[in-house]
Amino acid sequence: MAAKIGKYISQFTLVLLLFVLVILPLLLLIIQWLTGADKAVLLSFISRETLLLVSKSLLLSSVAAFLATVIGTVCALLLYKFRLLFSGFFKAALLLPLFVSPYIFAVAWKDGFYWVFGNTAAFYSVAGVILVHTLVFFPLTMLITGSALSRVHAGYEEAGFMIVSFRKMLFKILLPLIRPALTISFLLVLIFSLSDFSVPAFFGVNTFTIEVFTQFSAFYNYQLAIGQSVLLLVLCLFLMLAEIRYLSDAPFFSVDIRGSVSKRYDVEKQLIFHAVLSVILFIALLLPVFMLVIQSLSGRMLFFEQAWELIGPAAFQSVKVAFTGALLVTATGLWAAWMQERRQFRLPGLLLLFSFIVPSTVLGIAFIRHFNTPSLNFIYGSVLILLITYLARFGFIASRIIGNGIKQVPASFEDAARIMGISPATRFYRITLPLLFPALFTTFVLSFVLCLGELGTAIMVYPPGTELMPVKIFTISANAPQALTSSMTLINFAVVLVFILVFLFIGKIIFKKFQYV
Amino acid sequence: MNKYFSGLIAVLFLILGGCQNNSNEVVVYTTVDQIFSEPILKDFERETGIRVRAVYDTEETKSTGVMNRLIAEKNMPQSDVFWSGDPVRNGVLQSKGITESFQSEQTGMIPAHFKEANDNWIGFSARARVLIYNKNLISAASLPTSILDIVQPQYKDKFTLANPLFGTTTFHMAAVFSLWGDQGAMQWMDGLKENGVIIASSNGDVKKRVMNGEVPFGLTDTDDAFEAMKESSDVGFIFPDQQTDGTGTLIMPNAISLIKGAPNAENAGKLINYLLSSETETKLAMSCAQMPLISGTKTPENVPSLDDIVAMKVDYKKTSEKLEEIQPWLKQWLQK
Repeated sequence: MAAKIGKYISQFTLVLLLFVLVILPLLLLIIQWLTGADKAVLLSFISRETLLLVSKSLLLSSVAAFLATVIGTVCALLLYKFRLLFSGFFKAALLLPLFVSPYIFAVAWKDGFYWVFGNTAAFYSVAGVILVHTLVFFPLTMLITGSALSRVHAGYEEAGFMIVSFRKMLFKILLPLIRPALTISFLLVLIFSLSDFSVPAFFGVNTFTIEVFTQFSAFYNYQLAIGQSVLLLVLCLFLMLAEIRYLSDAPFFSVDIRGSVSKRYDVEKQLIFHAVLSVILFIALLLPVFMLVIQSLSGRMLFFEQAWELIGPAAFQSVKVAFTGALLVTATGLWAAWMQERRQFRLPGLLLLFSFIVPSTVLGIAFIRHFNTPSLNFIYGSVLILLITYLARFGFIASRIIGNGIKQVPASFEDAARIMGISPATRFYRITLPLLFPALFTTFVLSFVLCLGELGTAIMVYPPGTELMPVKIFTISANAPQALTSSMTLINFAVVLVFILVFLFIGKIIFKKFQYV
Repeated sequence: MNKYFSGLIAVLFLILGGCQNNSNEVVVYTTVDQIFSEPILKDFERETGIRVRAVYDTEETKSTGVMNRLIAEKNMPQSDVFWSGDPVRNGVLQSKGITESFQSEQTGMIPAHFKEANDNWIGFSARARVLIYNKNLISAASLPTSILDIVQPQYKDKFTLANPLFGTTTFHMAAVFSLWGDQGAMQWMDGLKENGVIIASSNGDVKKRVMNGEVPFGLTDTDDAFEAMKESSDVGFIFPDQQTDGTGTLIMPNAISLIKGAPNAENAGKLINYLLSSETETKLAMSCAQMPLISGTKTPENVPSLDDIVAMKVDYKKTSEKLEEIQPWLKQWLQK
């Protein structure tokens, strides 16, 4: 009885901690908005213009999300369902655009466009924003759909083949089976695209996020900006709750294919497949990176040494904070996923979902207002504020990845151990944790890279004197020579690449070691 | 599961929460480009032994971070000093009760025109608005001598301007509205729109587009123009409206403010005095061609003297007020 009470107390304490650190600041901000404004103007932001702008932004992001899902699914099909040479290389290389700031790629693509066509007018448009968002976010959809495709049981496809062609099997069996993965891919890209300020601002396209940002930064009109953010928040929450309601038991992203016998097809003419993947790789990664290299070499002097001097200290500090952040995000994701999958306690997951969909500027303002008090200054004045930021931004993604990992661990394993009288701690450490290790490791790597690149909220809350790589590049780029900025971006890219390669190496060992656990 | 997770959280917080603040320090928030402001702050740190903890922001990021932080931190300031690239933001902070008066021997050396009446902000090293052009696309002789002429048909689709809702462009537009009156300024801005003005995301973007040859000429700040000339010999610049009867070009000093309730007020004073010195003005003249306000300050030969430029007659306080008034119209203009 006492143990049960203790369990509830610790569970309640953790939920309370998550609530106080991440959700309370947002709720207080909304309450301030509701109580602070003149009641007559409280909802005045809901005008015809606002609704039109919301519709335009939704349409723009939906198109980008649709295209990203299509391209990501095509890549996933080619790489996960066919036995292709160099598929490992393409899988890793096509993921890289996800790890660079969309703004930096927007600048590089625009310059590349100008370099090739001598004109950029077409780029400064809705089409430019859609193109950049599609190419930056499609790796996410490739990751999710690829994972889902790997888990489709071969029996379904073979049964289909007995009566229909490959094409029909693809559209009538395979794609419907991964519908949840397609839906969550679409929704995630939609939310990421809706929340992004930098690319539409660079291309001069007015979106709802720009409107919110303008109210914050040009007019300092918090009431209106928060009101508009709430509208955006409700919209995203509605979309994600629909996903949870209808697709909560569907695979989101699994790193593990234990128990599934997925079918992979041999291809005779690999050239066509390689050509398609190479074109995508060229447009999404090689062209912008090539432009960055050209720019970094185009100055009147080489800037790499100066760039390293500027970004070196920030790189070390960023890696340290991102590493700690990724640990916290992974641990919280594990706890939230465990509560949801094994205890049917959904609250931690819902809290993380709520913080995930909040626009980064609003999150920043909420955190400043909540944590900037004498008693909480040990958080606000230190890197703890950054860790909480990372938790709020990426905890949801971590919980979903690990949640799917837990789904694949048969509850019967733990039941059998329990019947044998093995203690919960031993069960967790000796059975569940080893089985979950690949999912935990992947979550950690993804969280690490996302933390390393987080800019939207970090730029608002990073403690004075702290240097972070994305913030430094963004602030230095304002007036530094293009060659210096490009050199710094390439160094940033190289740092991320080195860590990805190290993690890939470690991952191979871990996946091999735990494959038959 | 819960207790292991609780343990991990506790350890993380204990490890990372132990970072203590140093008392011999000063916290500065700045919107001046980091590439120029950081070396000055490092010099101060080296010369005085006072640790500088800085938060950088820039026009490129619309100064969102720093300004919103300062406003949100009003009741419990974290920053001691706010160093801005122009006086507008200091004016906004003053109107919100975030800055306070600071006077010293150094502030006395700055001409009264470049200070707020009660020293809520004090100016130093100034930039000017200039027309930057690409020599391959347009000659200096063909450039408009006044910004009024940019609406002429020969400049259709050839001119770029940064988003007027942000940065020094906002301030420039507010100055134009103050000088020409609302009607005249609106007419001119509508003329720009009809003449196909290309809106860039920032002054840095204006510089880049002109340097790349995407647009023949644009309106930007002297530091951007000098930086472009360092990068490319195809770029030149002129000061507009220099005729004796012209309106003159806008001069924008850096502005420094003491934050009300600054946690390290004494060190803040030392940093403000350091920034208001001839030595700092010389450094800024050398790094980004900013023009000193203190007479007798040494500058490189290529940096113009304020005495040689016809300056726009601007009341900074009134211009700041005008800015707030015209912003809704500027937003509408942008969306036309």
